[in-house]
Amino acid sequence: MKNPFDDFRDHRTREREIPLDSIIQSRDRVMSKIIKGYEKLLEEEVKELVWLVQYNTVIKAYTLAEKAVKEFDYRAEDIEEFCYELDTTDKIPYLITGPAGIYISALCNYTQEGEISLKLNDLKTQINLLGYRLPVGKKVIVEGNLGDFTGIGMEGGELVVDGNAKNYTGAGMKSGRIRVTKNIGLHTGEWMMGGEIFVGGRVRGMGKIVDGKVYEDEKLIYPRNYRQSNVYY
Amino acid sequence: MTQNHYREKIWGIYDFIKENLYFNRPDLEVKGEKFNSALIFSLLTGISRGKELIIGEPGLGKTTSAEYVGSLLYRIPISIIWGAEVSGHPEQTEEKIIGRPDLGKLNRGKEEVVWSNFAQIPVKIVDEINRLPETKQSMILDGVDRGNWEYLNEMIINEEYCLFATANYQDRGTNTIIAPMVDRFDVLIESRHPGPNIAYLVGKFDKKDRILRNPKAENSLQKILTSKLSYQTKLRQMEEICDGHGEFLKKKLGIETVGLRDRKAIRAEIGKLELDLDANAFTRMLLAELSFCYKYGQKRSVENCEEGCHFTGYLCRDIRNCASNRLPTSIKTYSQALAWLIGDAEVDVEHIKAITPYTLAHRIQWKEEYLSGKEKDKRDNPFQIYLAKEAVKAVFNRYGEQNEHLKSALAVGYRVFNGEALEPVDGDHPVYFEIKKDLGLED
Amino acid sequence: MISEEIIKKIWPRVRKKHLFPEIPIPKVSEGKENVALEMKNKQITINTAFYDKIAHKMDAEEVVEALLDHGISHYTYCPWDFHTHLRLFTEAKRVVKDKERAKRSAGLFMDVVADTYCVKGKKTPLPEFYKQIDKGKVDEVITCLYQRIWGVDLCAKEDEEVVRRLARIPYLDKKQWDKSIQKFARVIKVLLEVEEEENRQEGSQANPMGDHGLDGYTLEEIDQGLRNFANQNVGLKEFKETFEDFKEELKEVGYGMEGGMGRGEGTPLDADLIYYMKLAESYSIPIKKVPMEKRGFLNPHSHSPWEIGRPFQDVDVWTSFGKIMPGITQTWNKIEGSTFGERESIPDCIIIIDSSGSMTNPRKNLSYAVLGAACASDAYLRNDGQVAVYNFSDAPMGGKAILEFTSERAKIYQILCKYFGGGTALNLNELDPLLEASLKPDIFIITDMKITNLGKVIGYLNNIDNRITAVYIGENTYALRFREAMAKKKNISFYNVTKKEDIPKIVLGKIKEYFQGNL
Repeated sequence: MKNPFDDFRDHRTREREIPLDSIIQSRDRVMSKIIKGYEKLLEEEVKELVWLVQYNTVIKAYTLAEKAVKEFDYRAEDIEEFCYELDTTDKIPYLITGPAGIYISALCNYTQEGEISLKLNDLKTQINLLGYRLPVGKKVIVEGNLGDFTGIGMEGGELVVDGNAKNYTGAGMKSGRIRVTKNIGLHTGEWMMGGEIFVGGRVRGMGKIVDGKVYEDEKLIYPRNYRQSNVYY
Repeated sequence: MTQNHYREKIWGIYDFIKENLYFNRPDLEVKGEKFNSALIFSLLTGISRGKELIIGEPGLGKTTSAEYVGSLLYRIPISIIWGAEVSGHPEQTEEKIIGRPDLGKLNRGKEEVVWSNFAQIPVKIVDEINRLPETKQSMILDGVDRGNWEYLNEMIINEEYCLFATANYQDRGTNTIIAPMVDRFDVLIESRHPGPNIAYLVGKFDKKDRILRNPKAENSLQKILTSKLSYQTKLRQMEEICDGHGEFLKKKLGIETVGLRDRKAIRAEIGKLELDLDANAFTRMLLAELSFCYKYGQKRSVENCEEGCHFTGYLCRDIRNCASNRLPTSIKTYSQALAWLIGDAEVDVEHIKAITPYTLAHRIQWKEEYLSGKEKDKRDNPFQIYLAKEAVKAVFNRYGEQNEHLKSALAVGYRVFNGEALEPVDGDHPVYFEIKKDLGLED
Repeated sequence: MISEEIIKKIWPRVRKKHLFPEIPIPKVSEGKENVALEMKNKQITINTAFYDKIAHKMDAEEVVEALLDHGISHYTYCPWDFHTHLRLFTEAKRVVKDKERAKRSAGLFMDVVADTYCVKGKKTPLPEFYKQIDKGKVDEVITCLYQRIWGVDLCAKEDEEVVRRLARIPYLDKKQWDKSIQKFARVIKVLLEVEEEENRQEGSQANPMGDHGLDGYTLEEIDQGLRNFANQNVGLKEFKETFEDFKEELKEVGYGMEGGMGRGEGTPLDADLIYYMKLAESYSIPIKKVPMEKRGFLNPHSHSPWEIGRPFQDVDVWTSFGKIMPGITQTWNKIEGSTFGERESIPDCIIIIDSSGSMTNPRKNLSYAVLGAACASDAYLRNDGQVAVYNFSDAPMGGKAILEFTSERAKIYQILCKYFGGGTALNLNELDPLLEASLKPDIFIITDMKITNLGKVIGYLNNIDNRITAVYIGENTYALRFREAMAKKKNISFYNVTKKEDIPKIVLGKIKEYFQGNL
C-alpha cells in the first residue's frame, strides 16, 4: 500500500528549541518529583485520610519528608508552585494540610537558597505547620496567611509572614524568629523554649511558654506581661 | 505557448465578462487581489471540468454567468449553449435531456438514437436543477460523473465537459437536492445582487449577450449536432467551427479564447502544481475533523454525539454527516486551478482557505443546535457558505497553533509506516488519532 | 524612513510566514513617537515617528517586519479572540485586584506569548528590535525575560529573581494560560505598583507595542466573546465585574445592548441583562420553516418508463412518440400537489415569572428561572412572535412589573431581571389585558408554586384554553394541589424541576413541541 504520508518524507521540523523549552521541562521534572514525594508521604503516613498533630506523628512525617526532598534539587519557586498545586486537584489527588505543611517545611529547610520567598496570597487553603524545624541561616518570607502551628519547632531560622497566622504559632520553637505582620490566634508560643515572636497586629491568646519572647506591636508582652493561657484582653 | 500566455487568455476572458457581460462586485480576496466569486469559480469549473451548483435569488445572473463562461471558454456560440440547456421542471423526460429514438427509423422498426445537444456539447447547464424530480437529477449527475450518456443501448462518451446547475432558494414548486446528489457538486456558489448602482448598469445594457452570437457558426454547429455522423467525427468538426468562432470573437471583440488543445495544456499545467506542506497538512486536519468520531470509529449521520466527549471543541461535534471522498478531490482540483490562475508556483494554504468553504458548504449537514446558534449572526454570505467559512476559519486557527507539530507528526508517520521503530507523535487533535490508526497503532 | 513601498515589499513575505492571516495590508502614519504600532479593526498601522528614534540602530525593513510579526501574532495566536482576552484579564485581576493593573498584566502577558510564539516558530527580527528600543522599567524586565527564555543577548540587566520566576511559566501552552497568567501577574504585580507610582509623578509612558484595547475587535467579535465568556461557567458576579471593568471601552467602540448592532447604543449597558442575554443565546431552537400543505388531489408530476403490466391510462402519448413499447413509452407519475397552507404563525407568549423571596435574586446569583424565561422569550422573538412579561412577587401590594407585548429584547430582559423578594401572590385581573391583547398567546409560568392565592390562580387558569406550561421548582403541597386541580386540562403541562439547571432545557423542549405543532 502506498505510504499516505509520503509527501512529508523530507520534512524536518523547523521549530527552534529555545531555552524556555528546557526550563519548562526541567520545572516539570522537578514538580513531578516534588509531587511524588508528597504522595509517598501521604501513602506511608496518612491512613484513611486522617492525620493528627501529635509529637511523634509530626516527627515521623518530617523524617519521611526529609528523605524524599534530599534526593533532588529545587528552588523556592518550585516550593511556591507546589503550594498552588495543592490548591487544585489536577495533579494532586487530595490535600491534607498537616503533612502538606510538614512537607513544605522540609522543602524550605533543604533548599539551597538561604532566603525563600513564597507568595501565597492567592492560595485558598491555609497551610499549617509551615516553618517546622527551620534551621539557623534560613529565612522564609511568606506573603499571605498561614494556618495553625506556624513556626512549630523552629531551630534558629527566621520566618516572616506578611499576613495572619492562626493558633499555636511558634509552638515548641527552640530558637529563631517569627514575624507576623498582622494577627495571630490562640495558644501562641505553646511549649516555646526560646526564640522570639513579633506580631504586628493582635495576639488572641498566649500558650504555656517555657522560654522566649513575644512582642505585640513592638511591645513585649511576654515575659513582662505574662498572662494565663487563652486569656482574652 | 507558454503558461503565461494561457493565463493571460483566461484572465482576458474573466475581464471581458466582468466588463461587458456579468456586472457584479468583487467579493473574494486572494493574495491581495479581489475577484467576483461567482465568475472566478465558474471559470475554474470550466477549466477543471468540474460541477458547480449556483444558488441565488431569481434573476441575479445564475444561468447567464454560466452561459457566458461556457461560451467563451469553450468557444461555443451562445445560442448553441441556450439550445442545449436543460430546464428544471417536473415534466422533463429522458428523451428531452439525453436523446430520443429517430422516429422515422423507429417506425421502420430500426432503433437509432438522436442525441440531445445537452449530451453532446461539453458545456452542460441545468437551470433550476432542484425543480427536477430526483430520478432526473440522478440521471444527469450520473452522466456527468462519468461522461457517459446511454440511451437505447447506444452510448456516447464525453471526453471534456463541465456542469453548471442553478437552483433558486427553497420555494413552492422546488424539491430538495438530496445529499448523495448534492455531494457530487464540486462547489456551491452564490450569484449575488450587485448592488443598486451596478444593477442599474445591468438594466442599461440589456441584450448585451448578443455580442457572443455568431449566426454562421451557430447554423454550422447545429447542422453537425443534428447530423447522423459518429460522435467522434462530430467533435472534430465542431472543434473546427469553434476555432473559427474563436477567430470571429478575436476579430470582433478583441478577445482571445482557448481551444481544445489549449484547455488540455492548461489542465496539464494545473495538474503539475503541488500542494505545499502547509496546504497538505491543513487539508488533512480539516478532513480529520469532518470524519472523526472517537467513540464510533468514524462520523455517521445515524449516530449521536456523547455528552462530555473530549472532542467537543472540534467540527465533528457540530456536524451530522461524514465528509465524502469527493471533498478532498474538489479541494485539490480547484485550489490547483486557482493557484495556476493567480500565477503561483505551488498551492499554498491561502488557496486552500479560499476554495474550501465553497467546496464544503453544500456537503455538510449541521446539527440543529449549531444552526440555531448561528442563524442570526451578521454575515455577508448565504447561510451555508457563511457556516463553511466559519468552520474553515476555526480549523485554520487550530492549525496555526500546531502546524509544525502536525507536520512533524506526519513526517514521523512516514517513517513509522516504512518500518522505522519510532513513536508516533502525540497530540490532542483528531488528526493525530487518525495518523495512529493509519499506522495500525490506535489505542 | 518607513514608507508604503517597504510595507508592500515585505508584506507578502510576512503574510506567508504567518500562514496568510486575513488582515489588510498595513498602513503607515505619523503617530505618537513612543508607540510603534496600533491595531484597530484588524488594520495595523505603523508609526514612522517611532522608527525615526531607532533609525540609526536598525534597518527600516527589519523594524517593519518585527512590528508586523508582533501584531500578526496577536491576531493569529494570542489572544486571537475577545473571549481569550477577557479570560486572561479576569485571571489577572484575581491576583492583582485592580482593573488597570489587570489590564496591564494581561497586555504584557499577551505580548510575551505572542513574541515568544513568533521567535520559536518563525524567523523574526523581534529580538534585535527589543534590543534597540528604549524601555521603561517593566519593559526592561520583560526584555530580560526574553533574554532568558529566547537565549539571546538583548543587553538587558537582569533582576535575577524576578526573571527566574517569570521564565518558568509555560507561555506557549494555551491550555495553561489561565494558570500561567496568574503566576505572571503574581510576579509582575510589584513592578506594576512601582510603575504606577512613577507614572503618577512623571507622567505615563505608552507601551511601544501599542495598548491592548478593544479597538482590535469587531462588534461581532466582542459579542461572541461575551457570549463565550458567559457560557464559560463564570458566575454572574464575575461576569458583572469584568463587564463593568470594560464598560467604558465597550461604549466607546459602540457596543450596545442589542449586541452592537447599532441598535440601542443609547441605552446604558446593564451587565446583568447582558449576562442573561448571552447565556440564553446558547440555548436556541431553529427558526421555523415555511410550512407546506398537501392539497389533497393528484397532479401529473414526472415521467417514468412504462413497463408491461402497468396500466395504460397514465401513459403520456406525446412523450411516448405514439408508441406503446417498453423502453419508449413513458407514463405519468402523479403526486399530491402541495401549496402554502394557511400560514400559522407562532403565537405570542406571556411569561409569568415569580420573583418572590423564595426565588433566586437574578442580580446576585444565576437564576435558572430567569434564564429559562429568557430562553423562552428569545425563542418566540426569533420566530417573529412578541413577548409580554408578568413579573410578580406580592402583586396586590405592588410587588409586580408588567410589560405589554413587545419585540424589544432589552425591555423584556429588564423586566425578567427585576427582583422583588417579597411575598407570592398574583393579581389575576392584570393578566386579562395581556390575554386580550394577543390572539391566544402561549403562557409560561415559572415559579416555586408557593403562591398564597393559589386557589384563585387555579380557577383562573381553568377558565382559559391557551397553551400553558408550568415549570415549578421543588415538590411541595402547593405544587401537588396545583397539579391535581389541573390534571384534567389538556392544554396545561407541568414540569417539576429538581435541578434548576434543567429549567431552560424543559422550556425549550416544550417550545419545540409547540412550534412543531405549528408546522
